Amino acid sequence: MIKKKITIENSSGLHARPSAALVKLAGKFESDFYIYSYGYRVNGKSILGVMTLAAEQGAELELEVEGPDEEKAMEAICELVSSKFGMEDE
Amino acid sequence: MEAVNTNDIHIKGLSAGTGIAIGEAVLIISDSKAVDPSFIKKKEVKKHKAQFSEAKETLLSELKLMSKELKDSGSAEIIDTQLQIIEDPDVQKNVFDIIENKLLSVDFALYQTFSLFIERLKESGSELFRQRIVDLEEIRDRYIALVSDQENIKSVKKGSIIIAREISPTELVSFYEDGAVGLVMEKGGVTSHAAIISKSLGLPCIVSANNATREVEKGDQVILDSAAGILISHPAKTTLKSYQERIEARAKGAVEKHDGVFATTDGCEFKLLANIEFEAELPKVVENDAKGVGLLRTESLLFGHRLRKSEEEQVAFYGKILSGTTGPVTIRLFDIGGDKSGIKVSKEANPFLGWRGIRLLLDEKELLRNQLRAIYKVSGEYQGRIKILVPMISVLDEVHKIKKEMEKIRQELISDGVEIDEKIPLGLMVEVPSVALSAYQFGREVDFFSIGTNDLTQYTMAVDRGNERICDLFQHYHPSVLKLIKLTVEGADKAGIEVSVCGELAGNKIGAACLLGFGIREFSMLPYSIPVIQELLNSRPLKDFQELAKKALELSTAKELEEYFKMWESGN
Repeated sequence: MIKKKITIENSSGLHARPSAALVKLAGKFESDFYIYSYGYRVNGKSILGVMTLAAEQGAELELEVEGPDEEKAMEAICELVSSKFGMEDE
Repeated sequence: MEAVNTNDIHIKGLSAGTGIAIGEAVLIISDSKAVDPSFIKKKEVKKHKAQFSEAKETLLSELKLMSKELKDSGSAEIIDTQLQIIEDPDVQKNVFDIIENKLLSVDFALYQTFSLFIERLKESGSELFRQRIVDLEEIRDRYIALVSDQENIKSVKKGSIIIAREISPTELVSFYEDGAVGLVMEKGGVTSHAAIISKSLGLPCIVSANNATREVEKGDQVILDSAAGILISHPAKTTLKSYQERIEARAKGAVEKHDGVFATTDGCEFKLLANIEFEAELPKVVENDAKGVGLLRTESLLFGHRLRKSEEEQVAFYGKILSGTTGPVTIRLFDIGGDKSGIKVSKEANPFLGWRGIRLLLDEKELLRNQLRAIYKVSGEYQGRIKILVPMISVLDEVHKIKKEMEKIRQELISDGVEIDEKIPLGLMVEVPSVALSAYQFGREVDFFSIGTNDLTQYTMAVDRGNERICDLFQHYHPSVLKLIKLTVEGADKAGIEVSVCGELAGNKIGAACLLGFGIREFSMLPYSIPVIQELLNSRPLKDFQELAKKALELSTAKELEEYFKMWESGN
């Protein structure tokens, strides 16, 4: 199991498109993926879960990945987050 | 009216067809406004879980087909999000958990699961997902409708009478193919799409029958008297007997053979063609002696559960229509948007004035090109029979663009060595007043016009024909609409092109009589209307119709015309 803390940097937060991108990416890996935020834990492969986080800009999230491809998964997810989900900041 | 027995339960609606049917009620509710918790037995758990999975598959395949067709990034994104919601592992987990551990039925499990997520989203107080809440509610409702109707849909058999809140034309046809003999809808006006199709199929039908799904129970024996606009449940023996006798009498008296003459008494010939949408309607086309298909609607290829979407499947569909008929077949390009879109891609404040018909097709090039390619491919085998009709044209620029697309596809297929009809005529639907008013300018650019009187009326009178509250304002022979038709005929004459009418006006006695007077010689209508219109137009010399048409333009209301027509028809 790997854990890592990240910060959401997009100015409008983890809105619809980033959430969708995150869930889509996580779904490609076999490992389980959970996100912890302010005492909540949601399934990172569930779009509804990720949406209920309603993470705004600056929100700190702890990622937890566990499974056979956990390292690859964590790397890919962190890259997506730090690239601001491949979107120009709106 | 027949002897009414006081024990019968009568439900009133609006007549949307003729004929009588006696059969067993099947309820199609498709609603989820109030889902009550109902407990299930342990041995039913498996069945309820399977119902969820089946509904999930249906939703996914519907959406995937949609996303393939719509390539613009905005709608594709909305569909992608909806796909993710349906595939969300937490939804399934939660639904299964409620079914297995709380032993509650699948519809309630879905309701509770989605409500939970909706609550959480609302609680998060974030503005980010306000729009998603609406999506979630829509998906929840569609899901519940699917699971609650699954069993009912499967129980449709020979002799069933469908009692529904509202159904789509595609659903209706599939019920018809399963043997349904009548349709009752709580919603919808007599001009609603399903009502029109049921008329075309010759099915007795009533609409706006309030509370029908509540008053009738599944499996009840019911009598549907379409002309009288009533549904009778729990009929007394005497009532049943009198209706059975009427059905028998009707069967004996029916089928007057047509004489094959389509001309006024002084020899002015006219053609009557059929409007159809489904293969199932072909027997009616032949039976009623239609001289071809004046309007082949193609939207059903895109929606519903009998999907024929790929180019090959379209080719097969057009081929069946062509081989099952003789004479011309006018294929209307996909007229989606407005009331006909199966899945709402994005909400518009005024869908009827929005992204529909040619406007949508020119943006969704792949959808358009697939259809054109399919049509051209079929045309090789049926030289000279196919015409292409473009819906919802409002400006000339659209005509230029569609011509370019057609040319492109033609060249492509020719260079691939495919045999095609290189001279497929191109026609415009005249349904927006801007086209009627400048008919000459549009007419110079194309080969024919087809006047769609339903939409022309809607856009002239500013009335949504599907809105029950105002449907009496939908007056398709209002003098203002007739004036636009006359202008269209004049413009077409000047441009040297043919003009036909394919709206309901053509299948209406007053309308058809006036149209003939205006110079229209080709009418396309529900197959079922052909004998009636034929008889009327055969009954007099041309000058009578011309006088009627002239008078119609001088009148000021549709009501005056109705009264005048009555005199005209009985007099002289």
